[in-house]
This record gives sequence, structure tokens and C-alpha cells, in this order.
Amino acid sequence: MIQSHRNPQTRYTDAAIPACAGVGLRSQHYLDALHSPIRTGWLEVHSENYFGKGGAPLSYLEAIRADYPLSLHGVGMSLGSVDELDGRHLRQLKDLIARIEPGLVSEHLAWSSFAGRYLNDLAPVPYTDTALAHVAARVSRVQDCLGRQILLENPSSYLEYRFSTYRETEFLNQLAKQTGCGILLDVNNAYLSCQNHGWDASAYLHDIDAARVAEIHLAGHSQNPAGEGGVLIDTHDGPVCEAVWQLYQTAIRIMGRRPTLIEWDADLPAWRLLIDEAGRADTYLRQGYAQAA
Amino acid sequence: MHRLRDTQRDFARFVFRESDLVPDDIVANGLAVEQRMAIYRNNTLAGLTEALRELYPVVNRLVGDDFFKRLALAYLDSRPPKSACLLQFGAEFAVLIAEFADARSLAYLPDIARLEWLFNEAYHAENISPLALSDLARVDPADYARLAFKLHPSVRLAASLYPIDRIWLSNQSDYTGDGLIDLNQGGCRLLLFRPETDVIMNRVGEAHFQCLSALAAGISLVRAVEAVMTNWPDFAVGDLLRDGLSQGLLTDFYFI
Repeated sequence: MIQSHRNPQTRYTDAAIPACAGVGLRSQHYLDALHSPIRTGWLEVHSENYFGKGGAPLSYLEAIRADYPLSLHGVGMSLGSVDELDGRHLRQLKDLIARIEPGLVSEHLAWSSFAGRYLNDLAPVPYTDTALAHVAARVSRVQDCLGRQILLENPSSYLEYRFSTYRETEFLNQLAKQTGCGILLDVNNAYLSCQNHGWDASAYLHDIDAARVAEIHLAGHSQNPAGEGGVLIDTHDGPVCEAVWQLYQTAIRIMGRRPTLIEWDADLPAWRLLIDEAGRADTYLRQGYAQAA
Repeated sequence: MHRLRDTQRDFARFVFRESDLVPDDIVANGLAVEQRMAIYRNNTLAGLTEALRELYPVVNRLVGDDFFKRLALAYLDSRPPKSACLLQFGAEFAVLIAEFADARSLAYLPDIARLEWLFNEAYHAENISPLALSDLARVDPADYARLAFKLHPSVRLAASLYPIDRIWLSNQSDYTGDGLIDLNQGGCRLLLFRPETDVIMNRVGEAHFQCLSALAAGISLVRAVEAVMTNWPDFAVGDLLRDGLSQGLLTDFYFI
């Protein structure tokens, strides 16, 4: 049996995600998360990676949950799709929530399936009245089924639809207002989409309904050389860039302290480096707090 | 809703390379709409190719990165993911490889892919505690004829005309041998099983393999042993039961 050596008997019972920095956990870091003296405030995993029936992933996750507040971040609910909601997917998420008792559960404002075929990617939703009603109804169904609030993450996008009638921030705020869901503000996504579409990043942060923001994400991205100036691609394969750190400080000034996650999903660094990256977010969180006080 | 549906339909077709027509009404904004859509196409195809590579590292080592990419794209053309959770994705890769004309020079490749998939299934199978000898001892001898067993959910049985276990082992990152394998040494029968978190693979004899296969198919112990003994009169089922209990292969019994 896999156990945390720190806290082998009892689960870390306080499920709430603290308003400090945490890191996204990948399987390569299971042993570090369990045994390293270098710690972070909380951890987040991709829900779908734990939809198996048993074995190492769930065993490690349960052991780690005994030692850390944990949140579940879904990439596959396909809330913006015109396909029916996948009932099996929803049940699997509900079972995982019952097993892990996460502090937060989040999904994306995106679609990822059409006619039962899955893109394994987060495609953009047109910001129209029709789409708003459609996504809002689905968010409500998911929340009703799970019996809890979910957070919706702003997407990174590489195109806009000409027939969109809402700004992305308005669309998210409306969704939150209509369904009671929270907002997961991904500052890297906001930066990237603003760069890619020529939106004003500072205005984007001011427009988001700050009271609804329950979590912040930070991540690295890379540049796709196509076209003039290039397109920024959400790759999660490196450190957070300086412009995103700047924007993050702006976000904290506007919104106050929020649980902040470093997402690093590919070309993973050593655990120590990942925790150092989270440490930088903690530094800004403390500074923001000091300024506000 | 029509516009939302049409957009998603055309978007998905473009991403999966069924069409190079882009969805209507996408803003170009300094970049051709085709180039914008190509980013999504690349994300999907590269991401799913990587998912297959993680599932089939030995196939990848045997054929090299470029050929693996061709196999992966052919697989995505015919068998894209049917759910958001990728745990079931890639199940038919061995079938695709067997169909793929350029892969036929490596006759054992489909069996290697099948073996890698079985490792994946065993890895994610349910955790179940083993059957205790004391529980089995309580069975009334009058019921022995009706006794059947449940095998651990991670148990997988594989047979091949090739020494796929040795090929698999010699392509692991921690392998230290010379990598020379005589393909004419004959095939193998394999038992995969995950007692805790790691999947273990062992060769088993033909009689043993046939008996385990019969038990896995839900045939009673007595009938399974009778069938095995028609070919192997010396078959000692006691060894199989003792090993099965001590290793945790057997998780429960029932009567049929």
C-alpha cells in the first residue's frame, strides 16, 4: 500500500484550497509529493487521468490526498459542444469527487467533441446568446449532478468568430451569474488570447467579475512562428513568462489573494524547480496582501 | 443552434483531416484562417500521437519516431477517440498495425502492440483483495463439482508465435542485455497480473495457460481441469491453485 510517511492514518481533512500557491501534479512527481521535504500549499490533478478503476494512479492520489489539499481540473466535459453531455463521463467525475473530496472542481469554457468524436483539445465557443444559453444549461446540469459548484476556466484561443456578440469576459461573467459557477482565471490564457486577438489584457482583468474568481492558473507558453508576430500557443512546457507574472500582479491587486496554481504539464522540471516557481507566486501574493493591508 | 452545430461539425472535420474547408465566419486578423485552424489540427494530431507513443513505447522503439507517427496518423484517421477520457483510446492499435501494409516486415509487431495494451489494461484495473485460503477451506466438498473462481481484474493472458516477452523486455529503458533475440526460438504464453501497483509478466506452460483461460472464461474448476487433462494427463491443478492463492490471482469463488 502506498502511504504518506507524514500522516499515514488520517486524511488531511481540511479540503479547502488555501489562498496560496500550489502546483499541478503529474505522475512523474508522485514520489516527490509524498516524500520530499520541499512542499507546496496544495495540488491539482487532471480529473480524467483518474477515471481508471484502480492501480497506481488512484493509489497515489489517495495517499497524496491524505497529505495535501487537492483540486480536480477537468479537460473533457465539453461544455460548449452541441453533443449531449456524456453521462458516463459525468458519473466518473462524480465518483472521483466522492473518493477524493477535492477542495475545488473546475472545467473549461470550451468544446472538445462533435458527433461522439473527441478532439483531445479545447476548441473555442462563439460568444453568442445561443451559445450562452446552451453552455449555461449544461453548467447547471453538471452542477446539479455533482451537487456542488464548479469553476469555469477562460480559454486560450487562436481564433475568433465574426458572429460573436459578447466579449469573452462578459460571456464568462454572464455564465457565472446565471449558473452560480465560479471563475478560474487563467492569467496565461488571458495574456495569450489578448496577444493573439489584439485585446487589452489589463481591461480583460478589470472586466472579469472579481468576486467570482476562486482560483488562478499560471503557466508557460510558446510561440508559433506562423504569420506576422506569430501566435502564442498554450503549451504548459516551461516557466511562466515575465509578461504573465506582471499581469498576475495586476490580477492580485484587482482581486486580492486567490489560490494560484503553476501548471507545468510537459518537459517537466525537477520538483524543486516547480516548487520554486510556486514560491514566486507566493511572494507576489504576500506583497499584494501587504499593500492591501 | 444551427450555426453552432455547423461550426463544430466543420471544425472537427478540418481537425481530423477529412476536409480542408474551414468553418465559416472566422476572423483572419493578420493570419489566414487556414493557418489558425492548422494550429488546432496540429494540437489534436500531435497530442493524440503523443498519447499513443506513451501507450506503445516498445512499438515506437521498434519502428522509430517517423514510422510511428505514420502509424499514429493512420490510426487517428480510422479510430479517433470516442471519449474525453483517453484510458480507452488506442485499444485497436494492434489491429491497425496488422492492416498497415508497410508494417508487415515486422511480423511480431501487432503482438507487441497487443501486449502493450494488455499492460495498460492491467495497470488501470480495479484493486481487489485476494481470496483467503481459510475462506476456500470452508467450501463443502459436496459442492466441489460446481466450484468456479473469479480471477483478479488485472489478470491478462496473451499467446504469441513469437518471443514477445523477450522482445518487450529487451526494449525497456533499464534493459542491460545484448538485445539479440532468436525469433525462431518459438512463441510464448504469458500471464500479466498487477498485485499492487506494478504489472508483472510471467511465462506459463501450455496446460497452465489453458486452465487459467478456462477459469477466466467462467468455466468451473472441474470442467476446466478435465479439458486440460485430455491433452496433459499429468496436469497438477494443485500447483496452479496454490500459486493462484499465494500470489492473489484468485479473488473469489462461486458455484455454477
